[in-house]
Amino acid sequence: MKYANLAALGAIAWAGLQPWAAHAELTPRQNALLANNCLQCHARPSTGAPVIGKADDWSARLAKGDTVLLRNTVEGYKGMPPMGYCSACNEDDFRALIAQLAGKEIGKP
Amino acid sequence: MKFPRTMNRRTVLRAGTALAAGAATGGVLQGCSPEVTEPQAPLPFTSGKPLPWTNWAGNQACTPAARAVPASEVEVIDVLRNAKGTVRAAGASHSFSAVVPTDDTLVSTDLLSGLVRHDPTTQQAEIWAGTRMHALGPMLHSVGQALPNMPDMDYLAMGGAIANSAHATGTGFGSMSSYVAGLALATPSGELIECSATRNPEVFQAARTSVGALGIVTRFTLQNDKAFALTEVNRVETTEDVLADIDNRCRQHRHFEFMPLLHSDLCVTIATDLAQPGDKDEGEDDPQAINTLRSVFNAVRWLPGGDALYNQALTTFMAGDASTVRTGPSFQVFPHVRVVRFREMEYTVPAEVGPACVREILATVKQRNIPVCFPLEYRYIKADDIWLSMFEGRDGCSISVHQFGDVDFKPYFAEIEPIFWKYEGRPHWGKIHTLDARRLAALYPRHWKDFQEVRRALDPQGRLLNAHLKTLFGA
Repeated sequence: MKYANLAALGAIAWAGLQPWAAHAELTPRQNALLANNCLQCHARPSTGAPVIGKADDWSARLAKGDTVLLRNTVEGYKGMPPMGYCSACNEDDFRALIAQLAGKEIGKP
Repeated sequence: MKFPRTMNRRTVLRAGTALAAGAATGGVLQGCSPEVTEPQAPLPFTSGKPLPWTNWAGNQACTPAARAVPASEVEVIDVLRNAKGTVRAAGASHSFSAVVPTDDTLVSTDLLSGLVRHDPTTQQAEIWAGTRMHALGPMLHSVGQALPNMPDMDYLAMGGAIANSAHATGTGFGSMSSYVAGLALATPSGELIECSATRNPEVFQAARTSVGALGIVTRFTLQNDKAFALTEVNRVETTEDVLADIDNRCRQHRHFEFMPLLHSDLCVTIATDLAQPGDKDEGEDDPQAINTLRSVFNAVRWLPGGDALYNQALTTFMAGDASTVRTGPSFQVFPHVRVVRFREMEYTVPAEVGPACVREILATVKQRNIPVCFPLEYRYIKADDIWLSMFEGRDGCSISVHQFGDVDFKPYFAEIEPIFWKYEGRPHWGKIHTLDARRLAALYPRHWKDFQEVRRALDPQGRLLNAHLKTLFGA
């Protein structure tokens, strides 16, 4: 029960996405956080959220820079809820999860 | 918000475009402006500093000194035994009320997620309490089960949904708490109490709606149904026509609710029934529809006779539109995408006075010219026997009022809340209200004291009481 890796994979498959080359090695814990929180929107195109692994969706966001992307994730921005629903996430988790979704390393300042 | 796709794509967008020039040049009413452009967290994030916690609506925040993320029941017990200061638990952080904030220890239930066991004979399933509703649907479906009813969005964690008696609509269906047949509660002293109607029944009656004041629930056993499919039909109708026919609507449909559009005669009705062969899905509704409504409102209401223009615009562009249909497995049809931030107050009044209460709210908004366009929501829920459930001992009609997340909700809610009091409304534990222990106790005459006795026995030091819970329970 501890980790929902299978749920995460299932969500990706359900969204009909192509396999996505991970840009960050997620821990089992982070995989669970991804499945519980991020994928409910980022693997569901109808929400308007940038879809995991879809480069076109992420280019404008990435252009704002890592600092803004991380701040918007924690504080919330437009449709993105504060913390992306993830009260369990620490700063390293957020960096790893953004990298996984956007396909780019999120550097530390 | 669930609006017919037609309302957005074919009609109201057209109306909004036609009327937008006015909004661009005219004064803008405070009730529905401005547009959201900046982060809205009350506490800013600084890299390298402790992370703030913020709820979904952005109206509650804290910076806890310690954060715990237990991945097992043993770890939950360990956290509760050793935590410093006030301990609160968070699931999806979707509550509008201040049930979570603590400066001391925040416990996240994210990793307590998944199916523990299920029984195909009884249609019961035991789940970990941190399981999110969006994960629960497919999880139960894979073992041939489904929740009998679900709220209109699936972001919630089950632990929070049950602690606050989250609900959906349907006169034949109780709240989420009413589907709990058993649970395991980790107490502040580090005890694990298994309870049901026959095992530790007093703890069970208190813990099924506890506002998280007794401990942290780790597991629930849910009484489910066999998996089923639904069809939802949305229509734009006249509010008075719907209210005049409300008993029939509730009898005719498995689930029925409607959303009155303020400053207008119209509403959106949502009727949901078991799917029939040939039902054809038309796709998801538009999650941005509420913003389109806001654009129309802002475009016309500053004009002389703005209310009449607004009503006319909606009537012209929306009324008589064909219905829209969503059909599929129940766990896909019940929930809707929710991406526009808002704040919500909700009271449950006795079912029989629901029409009078909503009529008074609509009339008050109109007569006092309150500049708000976010629709109301009107739902029915079956009575239960859970001590602090809003539906305890009486069938309920839940009426919700909302304000956009970038507009101060307090003036509007302050105008409406006394109407709910007049109709003996009970506030939703997870939503905004201003009641304290004295007034809440009067709304729960049968079991308020019973609950407080269980609470004091399980948490004699008040370690689970943050400022909000101290106000609620007078502790």
